[in-house]
Amino acid sequence: MEGVNFTLNEGEALGLAGESGCGKTTTALSIMRLLPYNGKIKRGQILFNGRDIVRLSEPTIQKIRWKDISIIFQGAMNSLNPVRRVGTQIAEPIILHEKVEEKEAMKRVEDLLQLVGINKERMRDYPHEFSGGMRQRVMIAMALACNPKLVIADEPVTALDVMIQAQILELLERLRRELHLSMILISHDLSVMAETCDTIAIMYGGKMMEFGTKMDVFTDPKHPYTQGLVAAFPDIRGQRVMPAAIPGDVPSLINPPPGCVFHPRCKFAFERCSKAEPALAEVTPGRRAACFLYPEVQEVMPRTQAAPATAR
Amino acid sequence: MRELTGRAGLWVRAVDGVSFDVKRGEVFCLVGESGCGKTTTGKTLLRLEEATAGDTLFEMPDADYERYRQLRRAPPTEGNQKELAQLRRRYSLSWQELTPWTTMDALFLTWAILAASILAIVVPVLLAPLLGQPFSSDVFLFVLCLAEGAMLGFVASLPPTRISPRTPAIVAVIALAAPSLTTTLAAAVFGTTVPGADQGALGALSTVWATYTFTLLVGILFAAAVAGGMARVQLSIRRESEGLVGIKMRALRRRLHLIFQDPYESLNPKQSVFEIVSEPLIVNKVSRDPDEIASLVSRSLEDAGLRPAEEFMFRFPHELSGGQRQRVSIAAALALEPDFIVADEPVSMLDVSIRTEILDLMMELRKRRGITYLFITHDLGLAWILADRIAVMYLGKIVEQGTADQVIAHPKHPYTQALISVVPSPDPRHLAQRTILQGERPDPVDIPKGCRFHPRCPVAFGPCGWSVSEVVQALRGARDELLQGGAELAAGTGVDPVSLENLRGATMARWPRSVELHPRPGVSASALSAAVRELAAHRRDKWRGLYGIASVLEDRDAVRVVLQPAVEPLLVQVAPWNSVACHLIAPPPAAAPAAVPLVTPAA
Repeated sequence: MEGVNFTLNEGEALGLAGESGCGKTTTALSIMRLLPYNGKIKRGQILFNGRDIVRLSEPTIQKIRWKDISIIFQGAMNSLNPVRRVGTQIAEPIILHEKVEEKEAMKRVEDLLQLVGINKERMRDYPHEFSGGMRQRVMIAMALACNPKLVIADEPVTALDVMIQAQILELLERLRRELHLSMILISHDLSVMAETCDTIAIMYGGKMMEFGTKMDVFTDPKHPYTQGLVAAFPDIRGQRVMPAAIPGDVPSLINPPPGCVFHPRCKFAFERCSKAEPALAEVTPGRRAACFLYPEVQEVMPRTQAAPATAR
Repeated sequence: MRELTGRAGLWVRAVDGVSFDVKRGEVFCLVGESGCGKTTTGKTLLRLEEATAGDTLFEMPDADYERYRQLRRAPPTEGNQKELAQLRRRYSLSWQELTPWTTMDALFLTWAILAASILAIVVPVLLAPLLGQPFSSDVFLFVLCLAEGAMLGFVASLPPTRISPRTPAIVAVIALAAPSLTTTLAAAVFGTTVPGADQGALGALSTVWATYTFTLLVGILFAAAVAGGMARVQLSIRRESEGLVGIKMRALRRRLHLIFQDPYESLNPKQSVFEIVSEPLIVNKVSRDPDEIASLVSRSLEDAGLRPAEEFMFRFPHELSGGQRQRVSIAAALALEPDFIVADEPVSMLDVSIRTEILDLMMELRKRRGITYLFITHDLGLAWILADRIAVMYLGKIVEQGTADQVIAHPKHPYTQALISVVPSPDPRHLAQRTILQGERPDPVDIPKGCRFHPRCPVAFGPCGWSVSEVVQALRGARDELLQGGAELAAGTGVDPVSLENLRGATMARWPRSVELHPRPGVSASALSAAVRELAAHRRDKWRGLYGIASVLEDRDAVRVVLQPAVEPLLVQVAPWNSVACHLIAPPPAAAPAAVPLVTPAA
């Protein structure tokens, strides 16, 4: 991942979109400082309320993690411990972070379950007794356990049915309004974001391609990849036409193409694209894109300073 | 398992009463949420899952189909049944002569085997002394075994015996047993002697076995070969005269194919692309010539967009990207040049940017080769752009069916309307009024009565099939809301909430679709019945279960709430191609009582 740069204001929802393997989840894990042992943050900053998460010590980050920033993991089916009751699992971070008695924590769990629309009697059930949608609600309750300020939702509705998907998105939307949460919504499905997010960041091959408000990105995409991606989704309320394809395959990040990562698949690619890498720059007010089609866009400085990754 | 789970007697009807027709060269989409039975339907069509009832009719001319539908609707007279059976035998993939073995069939078979044995063995054995031939002659026994094998083989292939892969083996066993048994019998009854044997039946048996094993084995092989050969002859005759049933399903498998959902799981990691694509060619004995197979494989790979084919042929699935894997799946399906392909969520595991290429490929092949698709998907957006016609399924039933424009742009069934309203659109300017259904689909072992969708339906009303517990729940809910809502709400409905306190309900065994309510002490039955009536009249749009109340009767000191009968909505045609299963669109035949449901007969 390189050159990912975005800001998220309090109470706002940011959509992080892109295809599989483009670095969405890695971004999320970096913000939580949860990267696996073979992953490292080499450069850059992640500012949370003015503090740089990258430089915090492990005990300090442990205090922030889940207390201030929590995450709804991808795949609710696999993220819950199958041999522990749902209630105990939700209570765990509360007991850990707020140092309260188990009884009090359980009372909080009841409230949390009610908040996400689950009957509180079900806190003594095991995960396998819940349907997919209900498990996702449990995951949401767990993420909200310590009243975080920022919730990262990693593919929260993938693999759910449309109707359940709508229920979960409505719930997230309601919680965001009621609890003044900031939210990063990660999804490969752009159409999910069209209804929930304020700003959208498009990623491709570990790089950020475009960043802007929802309306701007969807109605007037600047980057050719964003244009392709937006056009690739069928619109049930639009024309009955075959969506446009982006020819080629997602590049391997072990051996990325030189220059702009997207240039082998880009229909506007010209000579410069395969030689130099475009940096993310403001192309119209409030909108940044990384594409040489726009005169504002400069080349990335070779390896000396990288754009800082910032959150809030 | 049954005893373990304590669920004896419960079964899941994954698909129930689904009927649709796909025209040649069409893309027909089955859409619905997971667990609605769309995959089961697709598999049943290809007979990968056996249906317990019903037909899959293949390549049926319109005239015959019309006749078939007429006969299905007509009273089941003997003539009708016979004609229907004939049509099914001709066109149905799934129809089996389900009639179990009758006594006549069993008698016929026993008689046939007996006759064969008598003709082939007993007659020569009996004739032997007359002819002066020694019974024990090698040549004689050899001829006898051959004759018996041929007779048995012939008998085994006669109708009504059904040819199965086991037939030759069974015939062989009979052939083995019969000569030794007849010899033994002949020795025991007629005193015929076998040279070198002890006197008596057992001695004859053991000598026959010991001396003539080779001869017997030849007879057995002969019997099996004849049975197999006869079976083939008979099959080819049936193929001419009887249509699909006579043909082995394998012959049809060449023309029907399936593309699976997950290209990461559906390809064998140990097989190369060449092996994967050539396997159907070899299994179906399309060709034995390696060069020809190679050229067919490379042609279907190139048709599937893997160009040049040589580069991909000897790769293994892990060396391919997701899109390329799905292309290999498609190539394997194309190798046999099928006419009909069931595509079960073929692109749902692929990234969006690759998706369109696969869809384009499928549509191009349709144009070029005239392939008909049954496209199974949960993605209504895909159905919208691809399908000529769409069927929406819910809990194993089709609720609405029509052209893409009828179903997606002008949905009529409340479920379709809700489903379409929640599909997110990639254009933020196209925001729609969303109807989010609460709850999740019911457990398919416990399917709601009447319309299966009514518990979640935002516009369900009287005849939709409210159950006793649903009505009681709605009554309790409305009552609690009234008690907590305060005087204002109560005044609006004109109900005295006090009369509804401590409400106790009981189902009456004598009246299965009614509930008995007992008022709290100090409240008269008439006050309670008036309150229930008012509650139902005013609050039923919020508590839709109250729509299920047909009438409220006073029964001495109790109140009896009688429910509306549950009627299952049928798929009714509302426009050309378009049919909907909803009481709101096509009211049930029993006069719709929705207008004045709350009748008060004299006590």
